[in-house]
Amino acid sequence: MMDCEAIKRSLGTWLDGALGPLEAEAIERHLEVCPLCLGERTRLERLEASLKSVLEERASGIAFEPFWGGVRQRIEEKRSRHVRLSDWATPVFSPQRLAWAIPLIIVFLIGLFSLEGFFPGWFGGQSRSNLTAVESIDAHGLNVALFRQSKTKTLVIWLFQHQEGEDESSGESGQGQPSF
Amino acid sequence: MNLLENLARASLLFSLWLLVLTADLGAAERGQTGVQLKIDTILASNQNDDFDPRLSGMKNQLAELKYRSYRLLKEETQKVPWQANATFDIPRGRVLGVVPQEYRNDRVSLKVRLLEGDKPLLDTTLTIRNRRNFLLAGPAHEGGVLILSISVTTQ
Repeated sequence: MMDCEAIKRSLGTWLDGALGPLEAEAIERHLEVCPLCLGERTRLERLEASLKSVLEERASGIAFEPFWGGVRQRIEEKRSRHVRLSDWATPVFSPQRLAWAIPLIIVFLIGLFSLEGFFPGWFGGQSRSNLTAVESIDAHGLNVALFRQSKTKTLVIWLFQHQEGEDESSGESGQGQPSF
Repeated sequence: MNLLENLARASLLFSLWLLVLTADLGAAERGQTGVQLKIDTILASNQNDDFDPRLSGMKNQLAELKYRSYRLLKEETQKVPWQANATFDIPRGRVLGVVPQEYRNDRVSLKVRLLEGDKPLLDTTLTIRNRRNFLLAGPAHEGGVLILSISVTTQ
């Protein structure tokens, strides 16, 4: 059973027909036995009727035609590229969005560099970061060949004795004459 | 709107924290005390088809060298501070000297020197990715070739 306060709070919604059937039925039953709430209903109905009559009276005097004409003109008006760009950019680069974008970009960049650490070479930097880089080499008269294999990430520095007619650039040649 | 502003402020603070964290990680990289060097001395030959199971982790690398047999003769590990010279004895009186020089971008710069008695055979400076190795091959030994695998891990 609903009390008077609850009924009064729901009366406006009930008058608008927006209550569920069970609640509406409870209010109707209450109004049959409660003169106070019935009075409140009457007061609300009168208020609604007064507002309706005032609005109808005033609205007939308002000239809507120029208003809608202005709206149509603004819709159809061709705006300059500068204005359109500004309209687009203003919400995109709002301070709140930028405040979100900056940490997201930082997280993205940190993630990118971290991935490079965990999966070396995935970012196209295999030759730069994965393989051993020889900065200087001096074999003191011996021949030296560098053999690189990126698939197995192998660098071999091969030392071998100089032989006449030997192909010095080939690591294979070193395998035949390794001694020194 | 108030909630949005608070979230935006929190996200800015989070980004500052991330920047500080990144700087801290960079400092950690600079704070390495030295490296651990591991030298595996391997005999490669064509005398048989034996493959030493202790070398299974390097099988793909060694396969590039086209020998039939690989045997681990010796493995030695040393912890070496930056700029210090570590020496490793190699069969037949040879000595391998390694000086770790610098650590940057997860790569270690090494100065490597191979000596036979007092006679230098090789001087090289190279940069190798942390926790990786390279091979130095060529010295003749027992009818085959010695291959030195030089691995480096920062400490």
